[in-house]
Amino acid sequence: MARSVWKGPFVDGYLLNKADASRASGRNEVIRIWSRRSTILPHFVGLTFGVYNGHKFLPVQVTENMVGHKFGEFSPTRTFTGHSSDKKARRG
Amino acid sequence: MGAQRILMGVIGRPHGVRGLLRVHSYTADPADLASYGTLEDDRGERWTLRWRGEGIAELRDGQGNVLTDRDRAAVLVNRKLFVERDRLPDPDDAEEFYLADLVGLAAVERLAGGGERTFGTVLAVHDYGAGASLEVGDAGRSELLPFTRLCVPEVDIAGGRVVVCRPDELDGREVVGPEIGEAAADGSGL
Repeated sequence: MARSVWKGPFVDGYLLNKADASRASGRNEVIRIWSRRSTILPHFVGLTFGVYNGHKFLPVQVTENMVGHKFGEFSPTRTFTGHSSDKKARRG
Repeated sequence: MGAQRILMGVIGRPHGVRGLLRVHSYTADPADLASYGTLEDDRGERWTLRWRGEGIAELRDGQGNVLTDRDRAAVLVNRKLFVERDRLPDPDDAEEFYLADLVGLAAVERLAGGGERTFGTVLAVHDYGAGASLEVGDAGRSELLPFTRLCVPEVDIAGGRVVVCRPDELDGREVVGPEIGEAAADGSGL
């Protein structure tokens, strides 16, 4: 069953403070978080989080399209790197 | 030293009795495998591929003869298909890089004081939908860095190196207040 709308999105409160601190510092920072369950809010757009997957902190660069998803969706706990072949990476 | 070859796919089991084969394509769009023209297998034989169904291909050998026999097709099972790196088209813009080019580059860390130090090599490139990241380090020790201009300001494919700037890490752990017992002990009161 989906979460009731009246409750609003779930996010661990301390993430908001960390996001504010990182934005205020203006430095090249990765915010290490364990809270995979938190919803990505518009407040986080433009920041980079290191989301723990039980092994390491995977960098997650938050963009507008990710708002409403959970952090954990972008940090898989089981990984298969696959073959590079003709695949490309874009520098953000 | 020969040209760098890139693994593009692998031949699977025969399909039917007319020499068709299943081919597992590793390209970004699986259908693109046929567009690379002649593919070389791990024994040096050359093949041209034409898709005849989803994941099912007809192979033509170096002389242009189509495989029409299941027994001949069965011999090719598990052969890997390669193309030379030079035959990949140039990336669309300066901010796009082939993973095959990035993996194996030497990573040099730019220090705050202006110097540089060796940091390892690029071991892998990860992308799970939230921007690419480079796994940099050496055997037994690696670090994940966001593939951004701030963290990777310089990518020199020809020179075989990337310059990295490690980001500061802000610990996003929840800060918990003092326990009630602790507060009582230091005399701050309840």
